[in-house]
Amino acid sequence: MNVEPWVVLSFCAIIFFIGFTGVLIRRNILVILMSIELMLNAVNLTFVTFSRQLQHMGGQMSVFFVITVAAAESAVGLGLVIAMFRTLRSVDTDQIQFLKE
Amino acid sequence: MEALKTIQPDLLTLSQDQFNCLVPYFTVFAGTCLSILLSVWGAIKAKWPVFLVASLTCLVAMVNSLVLIQGTSQSLFNGMMVSDSYSHFFNLIFLGSALFTIFGSFRYLDEEKMQHPEYYVLVLFAALGMMLMTSAQDLIVLFVALELMSLCVYVLVGFRRNDRKCNEAAMKYFILGSAASAVLLYGAALIYGATGSTEIHSVLKFVQDHPQSLNPIFGLGFSMVLFGFLFKVAAVPFHMWMPDVYEGAPVPVTGFMTTGLKAAAFGTFVRVLLAIGYGKGISSAIQSHLHDILWVSCALTMLVGNFIALTQVNLKRMLAYSSIAHTGYLLLGILSGTRSELGFAPGVMYILIYSAMNLGAFVILTLLSSEGDSKLNLHDLSGVARRHPWLSFAMSVFLLSMAGIPPTAGFAAKYLVFYSAIQANEIPLVVIGVLSSAVSVFYYLRVLVYMYMRDPVGSPPVLRVSLWSGLAIASMILITIEVGVLPEQMIDLAKRVVLSL
Repeated sequence: MNVEPWVVLSFCAIIFFIGFTGVLIRRNILVILMSIELMLNAVNLTFVTFSRQLQHMGGQMSVFFVITVAAAESAVGLGLVIAMFRTLRSVDTDQIQFLKE
Repeated sequence: MEALKTIQPDLLTLSQDQFNCLVPYFTVFAGTCLSILLSVWGAIKAKWPVFLVASLTCLVAMVNSLVLIQGTSQSLFNGMMVSDSYSHFFNLIFLGSALFTIFGSFRYLDEEKMQHPEYYVLVLFAALGMMLMTSAQDLIVLFVALELMSLCVYVLVGFRRNDRKCNEAAMKYFILGSAASAVLLYGAALIYGATGSTEIHSVLKFVQDHPQSLNPIFGLGFSMVLFGFLFKVAAVPFHMWMPDVYEGAPVPVTGFMTTGLKAAAFGTFVRVLLAIGYGKGISSAIQSHLHDILWVSCALTMLVGNFIALTQVNLKRMLAYSSIAHTGYLLLGILSGTRSELGFAPGVMYILIYSAMNLGAFVILTLLSSEGDSKLNLHDLSGVARRHPWLSFAMSVFLLSMAGIPPTAGFAAKYLVFYSAIQANEIPLVVIGVLSSAVSVFYYLRVLVYMYMRDPVGSPPVLRVSLWSGLAIASMILITIEVGVLPEQMIDLAKRVVLSL
């Protein structure tokens, strides 16, 4: 079955913006971390689609780097969540508001 | 699979010249690995070895970069990286920033009971990320380097693990920073789709060859890259994270962020702007679109930064807003770069001078802060000058330089930026810049008033200035005054550096 590139690309764009909206509106930090992963994976899919469309390997190679970076990023992110949970006893962004004007 | 055949192995092997260009990067990498080894080796528990290795690494790499700054451009790794005067000039800024951050935080970490060797490792890794970022010629290399830098800085911001503010700052920075990186990466993916390459020279070539056939995908892609960078340099309207993060982070880390991080983001920003055809080759519609975005952002950044800084009583937060204001002047330098005779030289020179004076100010703040970064409000500075005349003198030099008062370097830098903006016919922006700069004098001088003209409250403990902090402050003073009095040399250097772009 052949799927038109624009279908996949729109799909990627939708996933990306779902992720972006998630970062902006969700209150639970773990869900926010998931949303960030969603954004990065939408980017991966975009790279692969373009790579296929352009018959160019560069895009597929990029995906490997992005996956690696995403893994490192979630490791650091979860570490920060744990550090925060130890002092604040919460993973809710409503609870963190010591730094305000 | 046809594409696999285009990889030529001979392009991936390094010649002697190319190897020489990479020496600073190898040095920093080797130094970082050595620091990691020393920090986990049970037999050595002292703080000295890692500190010395980290400082030496920075020094050696700085000397290497200083030599290479005279050299010619070398394309490396099949054109994915470049070593030219521009990248080595920025390497000097990053390494200097890392070195003096390390110097400034040595005693601070002892006092705050967080003398963990990982601190130095993270600073070095962040510096390596910055170095790779400004040398990157490929959007993917750029992204990986950006993340290398950002991940280290996220951890550094949250380095005081048991402090709520610190944790909160790190978390905020992490969430917003990763979202911005993802946006930037999506932009890179779209640019790849529109032009068929992530390599920035191929992108530029495509843009110049097909000025009319650029589709919306390319426009969307470069807008997203632009927004990603505006976030990283903390330009208004993407500045909301910055004051919170700067306030929550440990003081030396804040100093490192305002200098190294900002210089890295700007250095790369200029490269990428030129690559997507800013100023040459791109169709005039996109050109004016790009110009408008930068124009609005630049004007807002100068105004918002300076006016909100007026109301701040916490010095760290005040310097955070002042750093936003300086971002505005830097954007002005970049905005007018393509249409003035000096090109990007004023902007590049401003980055160096801004880094020097800000780093100096933050080393002094590090000394002034007490347990848990408290006591950094304006009234805590009352009468500091009587007890510490030299420290106050140094602080005054840095603050006057940030305000742009001659004969300090800040004046020379601001003068050049405004001069080149007038040549580029950006008169309204220059008016906004000069006026908001006049406003900024108020909050800089207020600090001096507190230091020199108020009576001390109670009896503050006597600060001990360590040899390393003293060294850092002295070098920054030297740069600030030397460039202020004799700017020609620096201008020539900046011109030569920019020519290599």
